Amino acid sequence: MSVNKELLERYHLDACSVEECREIEEWLFNNEANDFKLSDGTDKNRLKAEMWNDIQSVFPENNKVVKTRSSIYYMWKGAIAASLFFALTGTLAYLAIPQSAAIVNLNNNSAAQVKQVNSAGYTVSVAPNTRASINNEMHVIDLNGSILISAEKDVELLLQGTGKKVNFKKGQTYIILKNRDGADEMIMVNKENLLDLPPVMQRQINTHFDI
Amino acid sequence: MLATSKKYLSVVYFITITLFIIGCGGIQKDKNKPANYSLYVLAKDGKNYLMQDATLDSGVLKPEAEGISLDTLRMGRSLIIRNHSYYYLNSKTSQFTKYNVSGGTLKILASLSLRNFTIENYNWLQGDTLLLTGLNLPGYNQPEFVMVSTTDMKVIKRGNLALPAPSGKFVTMSIGFTEKRPNSLLIGYTYHASQGIYNFGTSDTLYVSELQYPAMKLTSTAKDNRSTYPGGQNTVQSCTFLDEKGDYYFISCPGIALGNRPELPSGIFRIKKGETAPDRNYFFNISASSIHNHVYGMWWLGADKVIVRTERRDLFKGLNDHYKTAHFEYHVLNLQTKAIQKLNLPLDKGTRKQCVIVQGNTVYIAISSAKDGNYIWNYKVSDHTLKRGLKLTDDTDFILRIDTLGK
Repeated sequence: MSVNKELLERYHLDACSVEECREIEEWLFNNEANDFKLSDGTDKNRLKAEMWNDIQSVFPENNKVVKTRSSIYYMWKGAIAASLFFALTGTLAYLAIPQSAAIVNLNNNSAAQVKQVNSAGYTVSVAPNTRASINNEMHVIDLNGSILISAEKDVELLLQGTGKKVNFKKGQTYIILKNRDGADEMIMVNKENLLDLPPVMQRQINTHFDI
Repeated sequence: MLATSKKYLSVVYFITITLFIIGCGGIQKDKNKPANYSLYVLAKDGKNYLMQDATLDSGVLKPEAEGISLDTLRMGRSLIIRNHSYYYLNSKTSQFTKYNVSGGTLKILASLSLRNFTIENYNWLQGDTLLLTGLNLPGYNQPEFVMVSTTDMKVIKRGNLALPAPSGKFVTMSIGFTEKRPNSLLIGYTYHASQGIYNFGTSDTLYVSELQYPAMKLTSTAKDNRSTYPGGQNTVQSCTFLDEKGDYYFISCPGIALGNRPELPSGIFRIKKGETAPDRNYFFNISASSIHNHVYGMWWLGADKVIVRTERRDLFKGLNDHYKTAHFEYHVLNLQTKAIQKLNLPLDKGTRKQCVIVQGNTVYIAISSAKDGNYIWNYKVSDHTLKRGLKLTDDTDFILRIDTLGK
């Protein structure tokens, strides 16, 4: 006996005989069982279509077609959102926190050691007991002490307290000595001209900066 | 038609080849000329260049194109030059090196190690022996001497000079001259106090000691407070000479860029032959003369004449611009009559330079001026005339040395 529609109905209503129930159960749990056979030879596909039409009639009326988004879209959406978030955070941080990148701090509080600073395009040896800083935005250098300095680019800075501009040519090294304010209170010499300072002063500079 | 264009091509080809040969031939010719003079230049690009030339009377030199760049070779301008060789002590690497120029490049001939020493003066002794006097490193407070054989570049002897060490507030000293006599050395010096990196003080007194040679033992010390900062580093600039009578002359420079006691006068002192102290009856006071400024260099012209290089206090502001403002003048002085003749040269820049060569009646003077370019001027002593000689192109910032290459 092959499993058919009437048999399945009686099984579900609990109206089949023991032998019939056993066969149905065998069929249900057997993967190799033959495909469901229609007793009256009805076309399986037509039956499938009828069943689907029945099911479909139960669905809601307004079944709009929803466009499916690609994964790339979602990736970009996420990326843009993240960027906007960081930009906003960054701007807030920039406005809220003091602009330390524009100011190069060169202070050296040591009484004996030379301090090396490499920052914002400047390479500086700062002598002991020197207070100095460079404001890159305002193009000002403040100095009380002595430094050996070289800049990556041509730059002109105002030396605070002297009213004078100092010019650094890219890649050249300069020695600047200033321990007082005043228009003439500074000595700035290109390292190549060191021999034109008094020999006694050269020795002090050589010893200080280990040139 | 074709034949004509072929003809034109051959002519062009011929001319090009000819010009090429002439051009190359020119360069070849210059290389074969003997080099008699050496020039050391600091260019505007910040590099030092060494050049040699057959003549200083004419021509044009372009340092950046024709000079040997010394940028990486670390040879400074405090040089000893003799017989086509250059001697330089790099106190940082402790190498005392002998170089020459060969095939257009600087070549190391030999090198010796000279630790913890810095040169103040040099003297050539008999043969090719070099006597160096200087100070210890890093203290700069113990005078020392080193005798070097330059033929095989070996230290013959090294030791202390028995000069009185700095004491009290004085922590260092400057040795301004070392005059070699048959059995003794006359050494001129003074003492300095340190005032941090920004300043220094100098004793108001200059000293001259006599030491036995070669024992280097102290026999006498004379003090003179008419001026201070006697002589200078003769590796950088000339400031002393011995005349044909055997009398020794030296300058004193308490100017701000040397002795730093500008209120004291600059002048020329004399130590007579056979004596060991400055002549009390001789002092050519330059500050009190019509020059009225400090003297930084002196070159002997023969007999009683010298050329001096003096600053102009009214033209510079201070130590910051002393070396880069053109304010130096040259004067011919008669040491006996005290006559002064100013040389009509453009104002020169550079605090200390070895910039004068005296060859008989001809004197070459290297001038780096603000508006008149860089030239070697030719001065004739007999008729006091000046004319421009060799030109250095505008990439030159300072002509730091001119030297003869012979003995």
